[in-house]
Amino acid sequence: MMNKLVLSALAAAALSADSTELQNLKAQMAQMEAMMKAMQAKIDTLESTRTSPAPLAAAEEKPTSKLVDAVAKTTSGLDLSLILDASYVSRSKKDEVTQHLELPGVAHGLIGSHSHDGHDHATYNASNGFNLNYAELAIHSTVDPYLDANAVFHFSEDSVEIEEAYVTTRALPYNFRARGGKFLSDFGRLNNQHHHAWNFSDMPLVYEAFLGNHGINEIGAQLQWVAPTSNYLMVGFEALQGKNEAMFGQAAINNPSEGYEEEILAGSAHQPSLLIGYVKTSADIGDTTILAGASIANGKSRIDHFSDETPHAFAGESDLYGLDLTVKHYFDSYSSLTWQSEWLYRDMEGTQFSDPDADVTTNNLVSPTMHKKQSGYYTQLVYAPDQTWKIGARYDNIYRNDVIKNGVDQEQPEHMDQYSAMIEYNTSEFARYRLQYTHSNALFDEEGNRRTLDSLIFSINVALGTHAAHSF
Amino acid sequence: MLKRLLASALCAVGLHAELTVAVTYPYIASLTESIGGDNVRVETLAQGNWDPHFVVPKPSLITKVRKADLLITNGADLEIGWLPPLLERAANTRLASSSSRLTLASKIRLIDVPADTSRAGGDVHADGNPHFHLDPRNIPVLAESIAVFLSKNDPSHASRYQNNLTVFKLQWNARLKQWEKQMAFLKGKEIIQYHPVFNYFLRAYGIKPIGTIEPLAGIPPSATHTMKLVALIQERNPYCIMHDVYHPTKTAEFLHTKTGIRLVVLPHDVGAQKGIGNLASLFDSLIGSLQ
Repeated sequence: MMNKLVLSALAAAALSADSTELQNLKAQMAQMEAMMKAMQAKIDTLESTRTSPAPLAAAEEKPTSKLVDAVAKTTSGLDLSLILDASYVSRSKKDEVTQHLELPGVAHGLIGSHSHDGHDHATYNASNGFNLNYAELAIHSTVDPYLDANAVFHFSEDSVEIEEAYVTTRALPYNFRARGGKFLSDFGRLNNQHHHAWNFSDMPLVYEAFLGNHGINEIGAQLQWVAPTSNYLMVGFEALQGKNEAMFGQAAINNPSEGYEEEILAGSAHQPSLLIGYVKTSADIGDTTILAGASIANGKSRIDHFSDETPHAFAGESDLYGLDLTVKHYFDSYSSLTWQSEWLYRDMEGTQFSDPDADVTTNNLVSPTMHKKQSGYYTQLVYAPDQTWKIGARYDNIYRNDVIKNGVDQEQPEHMDQYSAMIEYNTSEFARYRLQYTHSNALFDEEGNRRTLDSLIFSINVALGTHAAHSF
Repeated sequence: MLKRLLASALCAVGLHAELTVAVTYPYIASLTESIGGDNVRVETLAQGNWDPHFVVPKPSLITKVRKADLLITNGADLEIGWLPPLLERAANTRLASSSSRLTLASKIRLIDVPADTSRAGGDVHADGNPHFHLDPRNIPVLAESIAVFLSKNDPSHASRYQNNLTVFKLQWNARLKQWEKQMAFLKGKEIIQYHPVFNYFLRAYGIKPIGTIEPLAGIPPSATHTMKLVALIQERNPYCIMHDVYHPTKTAEFLHTKTGIRLVVLPHDVGAQKGIGNLASLFDSLIGSLQ
C-alpha cells in the first residue's frame, strides 16, 4: 500500500516535471521498484506456507463482440484449398520425339506421357502448347485432441489420385511425432514439398530420373523426433510399402510370355519393403539460415516394365543416399537469396529380365545380373528482390552412370546435364506467373545419340481457400 | 534479518523451476517480462523489425517452441502463415492443452472487421485488424490477461505476478496521461499509412486514416493507385505519411517529392528501430516522432 502511494505520487510528479527532473524521478522510481521486489520476495517466502494464493482480479471477461466469437468458431473447422497449375510449353522438338528421349541406363519416358501398367503417366508440362497440370484439392483438420488429418487429391485432366491421406499425432510424449497413411517422404529436401512449392516448374533431373515424377510418395508410417538441443536437430524413420515405379517395388513379377503367365520370375518382397532414415539440422548465423540433411533409403526393387516399348523388368535390392544443403539469407522481410543443393547416389543390384527381340509373346527372356551405381545432383540459386519478383538458376547433372551387366560395364553415357533459368511474378501470395527456360544436354534418342532439348515453360499457379502455411 | 530473509527468498526462487514462455512478437515478450519478472524465461519467435505477417518459419524457431512450457500469441490470424508448421514440428505436448496457450486477441474487441472476406479485397484479416497492441489503452488489458494466465499456470507465484501487474499498470497509466497530452494537437488530423497497421493507435488519439499506399491489403503499390493518392494528398493536405519500417519506402518517397507531404517512418513493435527495448519506449518513440 505504501509503495503504491509512493509510486503514484512519483508518477504524478513525473507528469509535471521537465526532462532532467524526469530522469532523476525515473531513477528513484527504479530504486523503489527494486525495493518493492525485495519486499515482495519477503512476502513470498512468508506466503509459501499458505496453501492457496490470493485470487487475481478478473480479467477473464473479454470485451468482445458476438461476431468475433462466431469467426473464432468457424476457424476451428476444415481448412480447404485448391491449387491450380496450368502452363504453356514450347519445346525445340515435337512431342513424339521428346516422348522417346531417355537417360540411358537411368530412366526412360522422362518428358511427355507414357503408358505404364495400363495407366497413362504424364509429367508436368508434358506437351507442347497448353497443359493443365493439375487441380489439387487439399483438406486439413484436427480430428480430436490426439490427431490431425490431411488429404491431398491430385486431379489431372482425366484422372484423380489420392496423393496424400494421412494422420499425424498431436500428443505423443517426449516430442515424438508419428504419421500414418499415404504421404510424401521426408527423404532429402525437395521430396516432401508439393509441386507448387518448388522454385522451378519441373523436378530436378536427378530426382525425376531416380524416383519418377512423384518422388517417394508411399503408404506407410513415419516417426520423427526433435532433439532437445540448442540447434535444431530432427531425426526420422519411415517404413513404407515400397511402390515407387522408378526404383522400388514389392509386387511379384510374372513371365509375360504367352503360355508362361503363371511362371513367377521374382517373388514378392517382404512388405513393407522400403525403409528410410534421415537426420536434419539447422543453424542461424545472423539473418542467414543453414539447413542440412542426410538421408538413406533401403528397399526391394520389383520393377515391371514388360508392357513398355522395350520390355524389361528388374528384381533386386536398392539403396538411395541423399545429402542436402540449403542456405537462405534474408535481407529484409521480403528479400532473400537462397542456395539449395542436393546430391543423390543410388546403388541397385539384382537381376534384369529382358527380351532381346523385344517381343514378349515368345518365351526367350534373358536374365543377366545387373548392378547400377549412379549419382547426380542439382544446385540452384534463387533471388527474391521483393514480394513480387523472383529470379533463379539451376544446374542439374547426373555425372556417374555405371551399369554392370553380368560383370561387364555397359559403358553407358555419363555427364548428363541441363541448365535452367526462371523469372517469377507474384501478384499476391496466392497467384504466381513463372517463365522458365531449360537447355538440356541430358537426353538420348533410342539409337543412343545425344539430343539437346530446349524448353520454354510459362506457368500459372493459383491457390484458393485456406491453404496451410508452408514450413521452411 | 532483512538480509537473511532476502537470501532465503532468493534460494526459494532458485529452487523453483523457471517457466519458459514462448511468445510470437517482441511486444508480447516485453509485457511478459514485465509481469513475469525473474520467474519467466521468454523466447521470442518473430523479429520486431520485420513484417509481422511474414515471419520465416526457420527451424531454429522449432527448438524455441520445443522448450516452451507456455505459449502467448497475438492471434486474429496474424500468425496463421508461419506458426502452425512450427507447432506441428515441435510436437510439444506441454502446449497441447488450451490452458497452456494464451491468445491475446481474444481479450480485445477488434476493429476493422470486414463485412466481406473475399480475396478480391486483398489479403484481409477475417477476424478484424490484428495490430491492437498499438492502442496504448489496450496494454493494461493485455498485461492483466498475461498476469491471470501466468498465475493459473504457476499458482505459487500468483501474488508476485499480481504485484508486478499493479506496478506496471501504475506506471503505464501515468504514461498514458502524458502521451495523451503530447498527442492532443493531432486530434482530428488526417494521415496516410502504408498498411492499416496503425489503425488502433489512430483511433486512440482521434486521428483519421484517409488512405493506404498499398491499394489493397497485401497488394504492392500500383502506379494508378499512387497517382490517386497524389491527388488525394493535394486535395486534403494530410498531416503526414505514417510508414512502417518493413515495407519499402520508395512509393512514400515519391509521394513526398511530388506533394511535399511529411514522411515519418515509425516503429510498430519493440525492436523495430534502434533503442526501442520495451513497450513504453515503443510508444515514446512513436509519439515523439510524430511531434
